This record gives sequence, C-alpha cells and structure tokens, in this order.
Amino acid sequence: MEDYKYLFKVVLIGNAGVGKTCLVRRFTQGLFPPGQGATIGVDFMIKTVQIGDDKVKLQIWDTAGQERFRSITQSYYRSADALVVVYDVTSFESFRCLPDWIKEIEQYASNKAITVLVGNKTDLIEDREVSLDNGTNFASTHEMRFLETSAKEADNVDKLFLDIAEELTKRVQVHEVEDSKDEIAICSQNHTVSATYNCCRW
Amino acid sequence: MGVYLCFDNPWRPNLQLVHTDAKQLDSMISFTCNLAENVSSKVRQLDLAKSRVQEAIRRVNDVLDLKFCTDGVQTALQNEDYEQAAAHVHRYLTLDENVLKQVTPDSKEDSGLDASLQLLHEAEQQLKAIVNVKFDDAVKTRDLASVERFFKIFPLLGLHDEGLKKFSMYLCTQIANTSRQNLEIALGTESNERRANVIYADTITLLFEGIARVVEIHQPLIETYYGPGRMLSMMRSLQKECDIQVKKIIDSFIKNREFDKKAQQVQQNMMSSYKTNVNQADRLDPRELDVMLAEVTLANARTELYIRFFRRRVLADLEVIDLNATEKQEKLSQLDKVLVNCELSRGMQELIGHYIMMEEYFMRETVMKAIKLDAMESGAYTSSMVDDTFFIVKKSVRRAISSSSIDCVCAMLNHACILLESDFCDVLYNKFRTGFPSGSLDMTQAYNLLQQGKLPTASTADSNAVKAAFLTTVNNAEVSGEYVITLKKSLQDQCTSLYGYTSEQGKAKLESCLSDLGNVSNKFKDVLQYGLNQLNASAIKPRIKPMVDAFLSANHNITEEEFSNYEANDPFVQHFIMSLEQLLHTFKSSLTTSNYDALVSLLTNEVVSQLEKAVMKSVFNRLGGLQFDKELRALVGYLTSVTQWTIRDKFARLTQMATILNLERVTEILDYWGPNSGPLTWRLTPAEVRQVLALRIDFRSEDIKRLKL
Repeated sequence: MEDYKYLFKVVLIGNAGVGKTCLVRRFTQGLFPPGQGATIGVDFMIKTVQIGDDKVKLQIWDTAGQERFRSITQSYYRSADALVVVYDVTSFESFRCLPDWIKEIEQYASNKAITVLVGNKTDLIEDREVSLDNGTNFASTHEMRFLETSAKEADNVDKLFLDIAEELTKRVQVHEVEDSKDEIAICSQNHTVSATYNCCRW
Repeated sequence: MGVYLCFDNPWRPNLQLVHTDAKQLDSMISFTCNLAENVSSKVRQLDLAKSRVQEAIRRVNDVLDLKFCTDGVQTALQNEDYEQAAAHVHRYLTLDENVLKQVTPDSKEDSGLDASLQLLHEAEQQLKAIVNVKFDDAVKTRDLASVERFFKIFPLLGLHDEGLKKFSMYLCTQIANTSRQNLEIALGTESNERRANVIYADTITLLFEGIARVVEIHQPLIETYYGPGRMLSMMRSLQKECDIQVKKIIDSFIKNREFDKKAQQVQQNMMSSYKTNVNQADRLDPRELDVMLAEVTLANARTELYIRFFRRRVLADLEVIDLNATEKQEKLSQLDKVLVNCELSRGMQELIGHYIMMEEYFMRETVMKAIKLDAMESGAYTSSMVDDTFFIVKKSVRRAISSSSIDCVCAMLNHACILLESDFCDVLYNKFRTGFPSGSLDMTQAYNLLQQGKLPTASTADSNAVKAAFLTTVNNAEVSGEYVITLKKSLQDQCTSLYGYTSEQGKAKLESCLSDLGNVSNKFKDVLQYGLNQLNASAIKPRIKPMVDAFLSANHNITEEEFSNYEANDPFVQHFIMSLEQLLHTFKSSLTTSNYDALVSLLTNEVVSQLEKAVMKSVFNRLGGLQFDKELRALVGYLTSVTQWTIRDKFARLTQMATILNLERVTEILDYWGPNSGPLTWRLTPAEVRQVLALRIDFRSEDIKRLKL
C-alpha cells in the first residue's frame, strides 16, 4: 500500500489566467513554465508532504478558469477538503469576480471544506491593481484564510499548500481523538469512524 | 659531469660515433621532408587546377543550360507545355545568377547573358501568373485533371507554400460543398427515419470522414511533389474549413433540438431545487433529454476520433523530416495550438459542458422519481428504488464514457458519487430515523390477541407495514453497498476502452474518480450500521432483558434430585431458546443473509451482556454450576446453528465463568490459570475470577482470598 497516512483533496479555482496552473507546478515540480496554455478541463497533480510525524498526500486538482469548463470543474467541489480561490493582483477584473466564485463554493462545496484566498503574481510590482488591503478585507468578510503569492518567485507557494495540509491534518487528528472518546462513551461494537472528513486511512 | 662520471667507461668512444650518425640521419630526414613538401604542394596545385577546370566546365554547362532553358522555355510556353516550361524555370532557379554574371565580366557575351537571364526571369513571372490563373480557372470549372496538373507545377517554380495554400483552398471548397449537401439532407430527414435521432452527429461524422478521405487521397500526391513535412500546414488549412462547417452543423443541432433552451431550463430547475420545490409542471421531464444526450456523446466521440487522426497524421509526417529538438518542439506546439484552439474543439467543449449539466439533471431527476415510486415487491429483500437507482446511475455514467472525453467521464463519476453518498444515503437515513416500531408483534403476541378475541387492528397492520419498510431499508443499505462496488468494477472495465489513447494524466484522473466511487460503499456501511443499531435498540435490546430475567428465577443451588428433575423439566434454557427463535423468526425471512447474520451478532452481544449480569446476581452450588454449563452449551449450540458467522468468541467470558462455577475446589482454578492456562486466554480479570468464585455458596471466602492470581 502507498506510504501515507492522510489523503486530502485541494481544488484550485478562479478566473482564467490568474496563474493556478503555475502555482500547482511550482509547488509540485518546482517549475515556473512561462507561456502556459490555458488548462483544458482539470489537471491533477500529487505531492506528498511531511506534517509532523505523518506523511500527508495532497491531491491537487487544477481547474480550467474558462466558463465552458465550469460544469466539469464544479463536479470536484463537493469532495474537496480545501478550496483555493486564486485572483491576479495585477487584474482588478479577476478580483471583481471573486463573489461569483464564493457563490459557487456556497452552492457546491461541502461546508466543512476550508477556503483560502490567494492573490498571485506579486512579482509584477509595477502592474499591481489590487492592494494587499483589498485582499485582506475580502478574505476577512468571507472568513477565508488569505495569502499573497508569486509562483514565479516561488514566494509563499510552499507555505500556501503546507498550511492547508497542516490544518487539515490537525482537524482530522482532533476528530479522531473525539471519535475514540465517543467510542469509549458509547462502548458499542464495531463503531465505524464516521467519515465526516473526506480522508482515507491506511 | 658526464666525463667525470664516465671516467672509466669503456663505451665512451662509441658515443662519439652515435652522435655523428644521428646528425647524419637528421640531415637526411630534413632533406626528405623538403622533398615531400615540394612534391605535395605540386599535387595540391594540380588539385586546385583540376577543381577550377571542373568549376569552369560546370559554369560552361550552366551557361549552355541557360541558353537551352532560354530557348526551351519560350517554345514550351508557346506550346502551352507548362510542365516543360516549369522544368526549364526550375533549372534556371537552381543556377546562381551572380556567379554566372561573374564568369563573363567584360566579354561581349555579357549583354547576351543578361538578356537570357532577363528573358528567363520574365518567363518565370509569366509562368507563375499563368499557373495561378489556370489553377483558379480549373478550380472554378471543377476540372480535376487540370487542378492536379497545375498543382504539380507550383513546386517547380518554388511556390510550395502558395501551391499548397491554393490546393488546400480547393480541397476546402470540395469539403464545404459536400458538407452543405449533407446538412441539407440531414435537415430534410423525417423524424421517423432510422437515424433521425443522431442525424447531426452523423452529419458531423460524414464531415470528418470526408476530410479523412481527402487527406488519404492527396497526402501521397503532396509528398511526391512537395516533399514531406507539409501535412501540418495543409491540415491547418483544412481545419479552418472544418471549423466553419462544424459550426453550421452544431448551430442547426442547437436550434432544431432546442439544446440551449433545454439547457437553460435545466439550469433554472437545478437552481430552484436547491431552494424550494417549485411546481412540478415547470420542471423539464428528464425523458425529453435522453435522446439528445446520446447524440451529444456520439458527436463528441467522433470528434475525439477525428482529432486523434489529425494528430497521428501530422506526427507521422513530422517523423519523416529531419528536425532538431527545438524545431520539433515548435512544430508540436503549433499542432497543439491548432487542435486546442480550433472552433471544433471549443464548440464540442461547450456542448459537453452543457451535456454534463443536463446528464446530471437527468440522473438526479430520474433517481428522485425512482425513489418516489419506490415499491416493495413480494419475495424481494430490497425495494425497487435500489435496482432502479443503480440502473440509472450506470446508464448515465456509461453514456458519459461513450463520449470518449475523460473530463466528461470524471465529472459524471463525481456527480454519481455525490448523488449516491449524499442524496441517496440521506433517503435511507431518513427512513431509518422514523424508527422501528417498538411495539413488537410476533407469533406469541398475535396468538394472545386472537385468544383475547381481538383481531389485529388497523394500527398493528400499519405498524407491520412500517416494520417491513424498515427491514427493507436495512437490506437496501446493505445491497447498495455491494452494488456500488459492482458498479465501480463495471465502469472501470468500460473505461479501459478509453485507455488506448489516454495520457497517463488522464488515466490517473479516471482512477482517482473511480476509486472515490468505490469509497461510497463505506458510506453505505455507515448507513447500514446506523439502521442495524436502530433495529437493535428498538427490537432486540428491550426484548432480551425480560427473557434473561427468567434465568434469575431458575434456582442454581440444587440437589441431585432437582438436577435430574431439570433433565425432564428444563427451568430456563429451552424456553429462552424458543423465545429467541421466535424473535429471530420475524426477521429471518425479511432480511438478507448478511443482514440477518449481523442481527444475530447484535442479538448475541445483547444476550451475552444480559446473561453475564444475571449470572453475577445468582448463586450456585457444584450441581448448579454444572446446570449452568449445560444451559450455556445449549445456547451456544443454538446460536451457532442459526448464523454463518462465528459467535463462539462472544461467549468466551461466559464459558470461562461456567468453567469456574464447575470447579471441585477453589484451588483447582490454578490448574487453568497463569502458567497452566495453555492455549486458553483468560478474558476475566483476577478480580472477576474471585467474584465468580464467590458465587459458589459452597466455596469459602477465605480460600478465595488466599488465592494467588
């Protein structure tokens, strides 16, 4: 069997061209491929990271931003443990569309999924159209974690994914402890651990 | 120093000799070397002279050729022998004009050469113009022979790109004409004709087949006259026409099948279903989508096939020509761009996007309908909604697979997971939540009612129906868990048909989504466990307690006489087993084997825990212990006979209690304890052992206290 303790699904969403694929490539392969073509449907990458004593496998679904792939990408929301909404700090338009993405999450995602707002392309200092405050405010109104990144400069990219992995791991572990308490309290036989979190255990 | 060292050396005079010899050799070598140098330089000069002579001959030949071409081209042009004329121009084009001019910089021939070149240049231009015009004329008059004739002349004039472009345009008009006719025929198809339901997919297929045929026929021609490596630009031209034609077909499809209208309605229905249950009449009947959805998947499958053909042809052509890595990469990315950005791909992606939404609606609505129309059939453990639901889910995902689009399949697998693990599981949970009526009705109760002169009332009949429904739901949950595994396997098998042309990435996506579907069976296990626990809590637990209470009224402090009397008149266990049998009997015929076994297991747990308590409240003498041992054996024997699962282990503690209650003396326990326990693993703690020993009224408590356990 594969060598990891938890498996989490992370889904990246956001307008076309904000750099979702670059963030994923940077994190999983350490690359920044320029002139990346638009993603068709969804891409799928895997990276195993070490969180404390445990190996955690992140399954990262990189979705196409274009409208015509929406019905494909939406089908991945429900099973996501974390949703990363990406905008481009040099494109106010991509920031302006955030409420639409939030609506999608509310409609399709599980309410237990954690959500992270990411402003990408901070390396393009001259072209910035969305301030750090804009992002922070939006994130706090919608109770999301927030981070500004640069896939090109590898700035905050690892932190983005590692923080997600850490938080999800913590949550499962807390849940496991509660479960085992329950088990003692109920003292029922074969009490299966209810799969509130979409994680697999091996 | 040498002199000093070799003072007495007898070889000294000889060294002198060697020295002079070496000098002589040196001068000889130098001489030979110079000689060789002289000879070879002459050879080199000869060589140079020879090559110059050859060059001169070549140029003379060139000039002669030029002369020949100049004369020939005009005659050829006059005779309308364009092939010959083009051959002359082709020869002229291979000559280096500047070099020719240098040959005779100041001779009188100069003007003659210039004139020839001028003439040929003019002839070249003239020929180009003629070929262009003639080709266009031939295209206009649909003179296939002439089209091919002039098509072959373009490369001789160095007009490869232009010739190919024109030829492609010619092919495009052909494709366009055929496609237009096909679409007209399609639009005129009566709705009752055999392939009327997939007529647009068929028309797209005909278009692709037409293009493939054009490529098949003309690729050898192009390779022969234009050389390899031309497929990409040709296919690119053809694709432009393909895009135009596909758009027309898709537009007709969307218009005549009311695709967009239905998509919109579905979207509204889906949105509203999240809020309130709108008027059912406003909802689109999923059956209206069925046929159209199949057509979309067929069209997409054909498109994927065509795109693979396109890619394969261009790649094979690129293999033939010599390209360095960067050039090749460049060509490949050009190819990808054509395929990704073409109207065909975009158009199909949009259709598939809407298709997924409508297929999800179809699946969800039909499943919801099946749940609403759920019916129990006599003789079946499950109700109709289980078979129906899995049939529908399978149908929808299989249809998605038939589209050949990996993303589409994955999306529908995801939707299938969501539908089963959320909506369908919720339906089961909700049925469980209504609970199993605790007022138990079994044979005894019915008998009592009859004895009292009462017939089972309407409410008991109702409660019986609720009970039956509950048990069916338990079965539904169990069978669904199995069906999900079967469904996953069958879909996985079907997906392997796509693997032949799927990237590793695509396979990984499919595998991941399929394994998510498999994991849904765990959700069903949770539901089943919930249902069984409910059943246990309301139908088993409350019934076991009073049955076991009978144990307390049976005396286990007995004389020899009473013991033998018990042989004939059993005080407890026979009646207990009968009661269990009656209790289980009500479930046996209504539950699947696996569920029945699970229920027996739950019942056994309950019996064991209640009986343990009862034992601890009783008192025993030696014979009473023996009696209990007999009772326990009978009970274990009975429960083992009614289930395929092993239940003996559940009785481990009680069996050990019986062993203790059967001891002759207190110290005999040491024969079974600690180092003497052999294969036996004690499930009782030392404290519990003492407690059980203390139940024997004939054992002295000091002896028990003195035991070292």
